Amino acid sequence: MNRFIPCRTRLSGRASTLVAAGAGIAAGTAAGVVAVAIAAGLALGGSTGAGNLDGLLEVAHVPPLLTVPGEDVTLRYAIVCPPPGGDIASGAPCDGSGDVYIRAGQSGPFTKLALERGSDSIEGRWFVRVPAQIATSTDGFSYYAVLRNDATGASTTLPAGGEAAPQRSLPLRKAVTIDLGAHDFGQARHADERVVSAPWGTGADEAGLSAGKTGRIGPSSFDVSAGGAVTVLDEINRRAVRWTHGRAAATALDLTPGIDDMSVGPDGTIYVLDARDNGSNPAVRAFAADGKPKWARETGDRTWAKLEMGPQGPVVDELPSEEWMPAADASGPLERRAQARNGMSGRPLSDGSELVVLRVGTSELRLARVAGGDVEKSWRILSGTPLGEVQLTEQHGNAVVVVLKTYTEAQDQFLVLVLDGGGVAKQFSLDPAEWAESAPLARFRLSGSSLYQLGSSPAGFFVDRFDLEVNR
Amino acid sequence: MTVLSRAPRPWLVFLALFALACSLAAVTVAKASFWSANCNYATPSQTANLTRDGGQTYSNVARYEGYQWGGGCWNNDDVDASWGDPPENVGTQGEGGDCSGLTFKTWRESTNTGDGASYYWAPLRNVHGPYDAASFRAGIGAANGTVYKPYAGVMDAFASSYHIGMVFFRATSGADQIVEAKCELCGTNIWLRTYRSDPAYGGVRRIGWTG
Repeated sequence: MNRFIPCRTRLSGRASTLVAAGAGIAAGTAAGVVAVAIAAGLALGGSTGAGNLDGLLEVAHVPPLLTVPGEDVTLRYAIVCPPPGGDIASGAPCDGSGDVYIRAGQSGPFTKLALERGSDSIEGRWFVRVPAQIATSTDGFSYYAVLRNDATGASTTLPAGGEAAPQRSLPLRKAVTIDLGAHDFGQARHADERVVSAPWGTGADEAGLSAGKTGRIGPSSFDVSAGGAVTVLDEINRRAVRWTHGRAAATALDLTPGIDDMSVGPDGTIYVLDARDNGSNPAVRAFAADGKPKWARETGDRTWAKLEMGPQGPVVDELPSEEWMPAADASGPLERRAQARNGMSGRPLSDGSELVVLRVGTSELRLARVAGGDVEKSWRILSGTPLGEVQLTEQHGNAVVVVLKTYTEAQDQFLVLVLDGGGVAKQFSLDPAEWAESAPLARFRLSGSSLYQLGSSPAGFFVDRFDLEVNR
Repeated sequence: MTVLSRAPRPWLVFLALFALACSLAAVTVAKASFWSANCNYATPSQTANLTRDGGQTYSNVARYEGYQWGGGCWNNDDVDASWGDPPENVGTQGEGGDCSGLTFKTWRESTNTGDGASYYWAPLRNVHGPYDAASFRAGIGAANGTVYKPYAGVMDAFASSYHIGMVFFRATSGADQIVEAKCELCGTNIWLRTYRSDPAYGGVRRIGWTG
């Protein structure tokens, strides 16, 4: 039975077919447009025009990794989720809550403390003051939090490893206190050698530059082998370039240009930590020395700070957990849950110890070498000039090398400190040379007794070497 | 032979072409531009609340939704519908805000630079606002001001002459978790950045946070 009776009755065969074709196209076009409009409308969602936001739950926290005697310790959290009903239009905070599970020392049962909700969110709206008997424990304390959106029941654990890898806070009872005073921006050390220098470009011995109205991105990371070979992540040209005695050898990498971090393993494997625009966490990607992809794994957390080689493979400093998580161990790459379960507050070193870093307030750095869960050496560095990010902390014999930024509104320099049990064994400043952007904490590497700096200028990029023989 | 030479039944033709046109129209509309297919120009609503964590939530919706030079329209599907568009071209009309567009909407500002009140702009409401990064850096507009960088906190921002990113939270390293619309290939996300210690960037803030 043909239900399109009007066509049949009014028009003969070919004509009716043509009309039907036209009608089909017209109706179909209209239906297609309507379908798109309905889809868009659904995406638009209710009155807020934001769609379904029930799944949105993000958190943040700065753990008090190192405390000083007499310090009032309050744990503060940001719980970021829509207000009840997904009403982000209101601008109101979400209906959040949370519990902190905390204990004195590093073992034993946890005690549950409910977070309070404050009136301001500039440092995190939810907080709990750590009870004095826990905050003053000689072994420090450890804790994790379960944070919730009470309107939807969604919850998340921070750090991601929860009870298996809780956040750890240690007391600095015998820290060497160093007061740097006000910084003198006039004294920058010159390099002992410029080991790599290349102009911007796409050629074999050049480096890619993305320069536009939104800024400049150059080589985003680099690494230096024990023998002094420099490998540069030239991601704008989708390659890693190994520089040996001034000669460049490029290895093509299947990567999207961006601002990523990189480390090279002792077997020549190139590890790249990238951030993707596809709704998933960043990924650590392993490439053979010839550029062939070996494996890739999502990181445990949403944001990365730094990629380094750990004792058993690549480790990533991740946020919001604020822990170093292994991306792989001796058996191979690790899935996200395994990464999180093995998170550590400090950067793991080859001898089993850790380096723990905490920038406090506007102008203080706390640093500790931790072995067997105890603080072995520690330093408290105070400055009369604001301190920025810590770029590098590395064990160097019995000393620790630290590179951090000091800045004013108009000036900045990197400050290099070689710290030992007596305090500052060596200190010098470096010009930032940050004409082009790189990964945030990837501007320095230590190899042997030399510090290397990745820098850039309008002419190109370079890697400078600074020798660190200690002269007290 | 007779069957082959006969004209197809009209209702079958209608159905076939209806289905074809449905799909072609959908594809055509979807590919026209993200703006024309998805965005609206509704009047913003004035709001009493202007909380920093409300700003965090709003900017968090924009994560993974892409970057569009001169843009300010995105949905919430965690897919950049126009990834890889030619950069710095407002004519591509793709998904996402640019750095100042994201900041303007997150900070609930008015298109009237003399108005410091707060207005909700839905994610799919396409608006960039009157400020570029340099304007924010200078603290231009009744809603904007500057802040001493060491004191910048959640949802304050760091702005240069070419970029602006908002503080999502601080980090133990002394760097900051920054939520920003970074570039066409990078999109919008939370990254660790060192803008705080970079003299190219100044501290800027939305005036009038309520909590």
